[in-house]
Amino acid sequence: MAAAAPGLGLEMEETVYHVKEGAEGANLELENFCLWYGKAQALHGIGMKVQKGIVTALIGPSGCGKSTLLRSINRMNDLIDGLSVRGSIRLDGKDINAPGVDVIKLRKRMGMVFQKPNPFPMSVFENVAYPLRVDGVRDRRMLADACERALGEAALWEEVKDRLQENALGLSGGQQQRLCIARAIASDPDVLLMDEPCSALDPIATARIEELIARLRGHFTIVIVTHNMQQAARVSDNTAFMYLGRLIEYGGTNEIFVNPRLPRTSDYITGRFG
Amino acid sequence: MRTEDGKAQAPAPAPPDGRPARPGESNGAEQLPPAPAAPPAGAPRRRKMGHADFSSRGEPILWTLGGGLALGVILITGFLVMVFWNGLVTFYPGPIEVVTLKDGKLVAGEPARSEVFRPGPEVLRTLDEAARRAVAASGGYVSRTLYRIGNYDLYNEDFRWVPEFEVREVRTPPDMFFIERLEWGSFVGRIKALKRDGQVLEAGKFGLGNLRGEHAEARARWQRVRRIERTEIGEVNHYLEKERLAVRRAALAHGEGSAQHREAQAASAPRTEALKKRHAGLSAQAKAVKEVDEKVHLVLADAAGREKEIRLSEVVRFYPANSLGWGDKAGVYFSRWWEFLTEEPREANTEGGVLPAIFGTAAMTILMALAVAPFGVVTALYLREYARQGRLVSIVRISVNNLAGVPSIVYGVFGLGFFAYIVGATIDQLFYSERLPSPTFGTGGLLWSSLTLALLTVPVVIVATEEALSAVPRSAREGSLACGASKWQTIRRIVLPQAMPGIMTGLILAMARGAGEVAPLMLVGVVKLAPELPIDGFFPFIHLERSFMHLGFHIYDVGFQSRNSEAGKPMVFVTTLLLIGLIAVMNAWAICVRNRLKRKLSAGHF
Ligand SMILES: Nc1ncnc2c1ncn2[C@@H]1O[C@H](COP(=O)(O)OP(=O)(O)O)[C@@H](O)[C@H]1O
Ligand SMILES: [Mg+2]
Repeated sequence: MAAAAPGLGLEMEETVYHVKEGAEGANLELENFCLWYGKAQALHGIGMKVQKGIVTALIGPSGCGKSTLLRSINRMNDLIDGLSVRGSIRLDGKDINAPGVDVIKLRKRMGMVFQKPNPFPMSVFENVAYPLRVDGVRDRRMLADACERALGEAALWEEVKDRLQENALGLSGGQQQRLCIARAIASDPDVLLMDEPCSALDPIATARIEELIARLRGHFTIVIVTHNMQQAARVSDNTAFMYLGRLIEYGGTNEIFVNPRLPRTSDYITGRFG
Repeated sequence: MRTEDGKAQAPAPAPPDGRPARPGESNGAEQLPPAPAAPPAGAPRRRKMGHADFSSRGEPILWTLGGGLALGVILITGFLVMVFWNGLVTFYPGPIEVVTLKDGKLVAGEPARSEVFRPGPEVLRTLDEAARRAVAASGGYVSRTLYRIGNYDLYNEDFRWVPEFEVREVRTPPDMFFIERLEWGSFVGRIKALKRDGQVLEAGKFGLGNLRGEHAEARARWQRVRRIERTEIGEVNHYLEKERLAVRRAALAHGEGSAQHREAQAASAPRTEALKKRHAGLSAQAKAVKEVDEKVHLVLADAAGREKEIRLSEVVRFYPANSLGWGDKAGVYFSRWWEFLTEEPREANTEGGVLPAIFGTAAMTILMALAVAPFGVVTALYLREYARQGRLVSIVRISVNNLAGVPSIVYGVFGLGFFAYIVGATIDQLFYSERLPSPTFGTGGLLWSSLTLALLTVPVVIVATEEALSAVPRSAREGSLACGASKWQTIRRIVLPQAMPGIMTGLILAMARGAGEVAPLMLVGVVKLAPELPIDGFFPFIHLERSFMHLGFHIYDVGFQSRNSEAGKPMVFVTTLLLIGLIAVMNAWAICVRNRLKRKLSAGHF
């Protein structure tokens, strides 16, 4: 599990792991995962195991490949021309990039929340019901139940239960983002991927989303990209620090924040660069 | 200096001519840009400026741009005002002037317009001394008036120029009538008598009210005859033709004289007989009504007293032009508009209404939109969403854009050659062989016209749709894909709805272009006079193979193909007004739909 990419002017170091492998059931396993946008390599030999039901934060300076890694997990990068990957990402032991894998089925097992809230220009109800609708669910009862449950879990039900038929674009930014979370969990996925979900929100809305993540912990395997150190410290169990496309240090959030092994990690965490 | 320039130009196109010239200012100061936002007493901000800087301040270009815009606006406004004015006044009843000429002849008519002209020496030679002097005094120019004299059957002309020097006296006698007739155009003159069942009622012995009553009855009779002949006999004829075709089909399928053919003949014979009987009965009915009608006549006389007798039912409308109140005039005006909008044309399209043309234009445009929308959207979807973006797609895209520049008549030739002669002829061979040699789809018609125009306008839709598709944000697509939607589900449920306003814009442009297009239609189905509307009560109700009338072609036909283009001229403007109105209404409707969609998509705030 060594990150080896010679000739980049970066002194080679092995990823430092604090996480004890196999301590809990790993939901996601990345092994020597490399990714190229055309000729430019964006990820270098990433190896990590993400445990079931806990929150894993991805931190690192801009452009270090956090989004790329996250988007590799549900294969959103497939849309990009000239993309190539090596190594493996396994979900419950099965390689998601293996030839026969149905990418649509794969994405149905994962919810994704984006940096900017992107509700569809439809009613609140239709937004949350969307993953079920594209899955072929027609039954109104089932849709309504799933919608109420997802909105409830996303801590939005009380606010929108009287305006389910209103256009979702009429909600506030924070509500929109929680709606997107509700949409991401409506079809009851295994993994929830969040790419800087709070970066477009004000502090109060951010706090509510953080509360929400804490509540969702245990129900889903959550991988969250964040720029905000405090946020990572508050919400996550494990933290992975990335730098220039490499996974530098990966371990329990407490250990990483209190006791980072590598100077680069501590520099970043204390804000000396980034 | 630069910053000042920037400030001055930012609130742009204020014409610099509004600035009063201030005497005593230096040349350079005068050239300062007319900063409207700056206070007039901004003297400290003014700086001396060299001539070299004149163009750098962008004023000349501003003049050119503003001038171009102004010219365009003036042209469009002028055009609209002209069409509106001419179109709106055409139906307003004018007075009838009776002009006594110097040679004692009488000219009666509605003055249409006046102009000044310069009579040639051969005309001047025929004038008397006083008139010649009057002409010379006004520099050789004379004014003349165009009278709409009507009475084509008596004079062989509808309009006549009367130069001022020929006029001895102009009067407007209150007993002059303007009478619109079914044939020969209008009549200008007096009503002499009403003949009924051989009795002659002199004009003084009955009131206008009585005449109106008689007229209404006569018109009702005429309407009834028309209904019998058109609708009821038309229906019988339709079924007779169906019987004939059934027999013919059997002959074609099994051979002339075969058992099936004879069987079909035998089966159809009694039905045909019954239909013929009904036909005869209806004809007799119509004849009876006509006989009654034949007995009611109106005796008219022109200004000079020449008499003309016509059936009362032939009179469409009559009014004493010189003794009308405001209310009567408005009544005539609106009844003419109503006739124009709801009746069929007559008198080589120069009179009557344009209902079939309105109908044809609307039907053709709607069919075209129905054809072009899916075609254009599907093409654009493939080009933008599915095709691999490369050389080939670029070439296709350029070709599509260039298609928009092909002259429209070329599309007409293509439509005729491909749709009518190849596709249509094949359809005829396969499905309508019993009607041959008279073509069904093998000639121009509503369907081929719509498809031809759909081809003509499809580039507009493709380009607009592609733009609309590429404007749908990536985040929306990714959001959908991340939910586990397939590509097609994403396109159908997310991308297309969001692109819809843009697609509608393209469609609106296409419709506007298509509705106004005439040249290609002349080749693929538009005719001067279509006896039957493309929609009627007979299965399949919409007859796409029929030729139809079109407002655009109607304008051309009325204005330039009628026996007297002067008579058609007012109708040209009215029809143009109507065409503009129709296109405006269709576009307004489409824009409403689009805006509703847009509101739905952008109700958001952050
Ligand atoms: N679609 C793409 N095509 C090419 N290069 C990309 C693309 N997306 C990201 N990159 C590059 O990959 C690297 C990692 O980007 P990203 O994963 O977005 O970083 P982060 O999310 O950590 O800020 C950056 O150098 C970026 O320029
Ligand atoms: Mg990112």
